[in-house]
Amino acid sequence: MFQLSIVKDTLPILPAAFALPPEQALIAAINKKYANRVLHEVGLCIAVFDLVEAGEGRVRYGDGCLWYKVTFRMVVFRPFASEVILARVKSSDEEGIRLTLGFFDDVYVPLAYLPQPAAFDPNERAHFWLPEAATEDASAPSTHELLDSPTTSRMYIDKGEVLRVRVEMDEFYDDEPGPPKATEGVRIERERRAPYTVTCSIAEQGLGPVAWWKSAEPATDAEMDQA
Amino acid sequence: MEVINPRSALLSNYEVLTLLRELESDHLAKTKTALRIKKEEEALGKPVTGTSAIEDETCENLRTVEVEAIQYLTSDFQPISAQSDAGITKLVKDLEPYGFTKAEKLQIVNLAPTEAVELYVIVEELEDRLGERMEEVLSHVRASLDPDAVVVVSSTQPSAAAVDNEEPPNPPAETGSTTEVYEEETWIQDANYIEWDDSGAGAGVEGDLEMEEE
Repeated sequence: MFQLSIVKDTLPILPAAFALPPEQALIAAINKKYANRVLHEVGLCIAVFDLVEAGEGRVRYGDGCLWYKVTFRMVVFRPFASEVILARVKSSDEEGIRLTLGFFDDVYVPLAYLPQPAAFDPNERAHFWLPEAATEDASAPSTHELLDSPTTSRMYIDKGEVLRVRVEMDEFYDDEPGPPKATEGVRIERERRAPYTVTCSIAEQGLGPVAWWKSAEPATDAEMDQA
Repeated sequence: MEVINPRSALLSNYEVLTLLRELESDHLAKTKTALRIKKEEEALGKPVTGTSAIEDETCENLRTVEVEAIQYLTSDFQPISAQSDAGITKLVKDLEPYGFTKAEKLQIVNLAPTEAVELYVIVEELEDRLGERMEEVLSHVRASLDPDAVVVVSSTQPSAAAVDNEEPPNPPAETGSTTEVYEEETWIQDANYIEWDDSGAGAGVEGDLEMEEE
């Protein structure tokens, strides 16, 4: 889930921080620049782990700062593919479930990665899994049939529940506000995308709400035998 | 900026939490000192200096992510409150003979599976690879979780905690030299932290989780 990334950068130290030991001032400067920011293709930076190497501070023409070339190790949030993590449900809609880790909430479970057969209940604003419907027939039941099922047999994935999810892939977007783009004379509206999103799956035995698997272990074994 | 190695090593949640807690206690101590100095300066009728304002400003992003990550890592669905340095070291050693990959070991440490279902998710082809020995693995994990470990966790970093707690009553009267005294002390803490980290690698926790190749 977390990893160490080695990064090299040249950073200015303001004269106000000259009184501090250089290492301390540098760590503060790095944290200020990187903490809680997404580095493209690296991940979400949390904090400096340690300094690997730092050169002498140099004064450049034009400002009073000391510029340091510094190599440091950064604690970065970047779960690897197929890693299993725990996350809370932030919200659900027709397109899937959005999860949150507290410090990072661009974690999504799209419809394709929900346990089948599943459907979205617009009244409850939550997805539910209907394990009974799977055993009857190999073909997937329609959404209408699923929504007609008795509420008691549905396994809801409610907001705030803790899910165990497997990371399927992650994507980085580097959307800088550049010049307006146009194809065939039509101006394309840019929408801001999250710089880093993680796509997860719960379509597997043992994944999904932690509570499903905590209490009913013998029952799931029986289920597996039937399927 | 240049990324030299995007993934030089993997960290367990426990290691990250230790680091964040250290930052947090550092920060709290700093705020306390800053407040005290400010009060003393006000009492003496000195003009307020800008140093404390700089401190606050530097860390806003860091503080956000730090607090939220600590919240996530210590929430009740995480096994981390029952984990300890010694427990994890032992667990990693105990897992040696089962031929897990580094990633699998890391996840076993992070998630501490105590039920077979949880282990199925983490380890691929669990039955073929482990067969009957699954229960052994689960019992190793259970052994590494200590219900009273909350006490152990706090005692693993006595230097930081102790220094922070005892520090305030030390120099009550002096005003000019207090900042400098404090700075030296943070220094010592930093040095301690690195030493502790090295011993971790020697004991085989970090070394095992380091990734040489992708």
